[in-house]
Amino acid sequence: MVKYESIFITEPGATDDEVSALIKGFEDTVTTGSGKVLKVERWGKRRLAYRVGRHEDGNYTLFYLECPPAAARELERRYRMNDRIIKYLTVRMDRNIPEDQPARAGDSPEVRGPEPVEAQ
Amino acid sequence: MDPRDRDKAKKKQFRKKFLFRKKKFCKFCEEKIPYIDYKDVRLLQGFTPERGKIFPRRISGTCAKHQRELMQAIKRARNIALLPFTAD
Repeated sequence: MVKYESIFITEPGATDDEVSALIKGFEDTVTTGSGKVLKVERWGKRRLAYRVGRHEDGNYTLFYLECPPAAARELERRYRMNDRIIKYLTVRMDRNIPEDQPARAGDSPEVRGPEPVEAQ
Repeated sequence: MDPRDRDKAKKKQFRKKFLFRKKKFCKFCEEKIPYIDYKDVRLLQGFTPERGKIFPRRISGTCAKHQRELMQAIKRARNIALLPFTAD
């Protein structure tokens, strides 16, 4: 078993439900590969540092996993096949990264909350 | 006075005048940051000035070990669009 952290970015048009469905699917992928998901962090929509395809924003989700390498490879293969996903990155955690330390990218001012609904 | 001595004195003066700078130090050693996280955009941004390049350690004073880790973190952050490859 190896510890990984895996980020994927969906296109900004994906709704919360769609992202939840994706997360569910990927969790299943990991568990069927006899691994387990330690933690899921949803950063929500944030501005990309550069344009990816035609997208300026993306919806970030971060997984902390513990699984055999084969399962991580399978997960990446699924990322690639899904056309809602515009970018992904899986990194092995060499050291034990303190898990209580929240990802600090989330509190950057670039994060955008849900778009305000205009009153009619 | 030996002209060479005069030269030395001049050099010393020059040093006093212009070469006094604050001692550089490695931020990561100083603050005992155990792991440079590629997700910590705010920290990394401090080491990527306007153009988005990686701040060289001869200027920032980061030690070799931490500069390597910093480089790795910045490259990962770029890959996942948290930091720009270039900005103009």
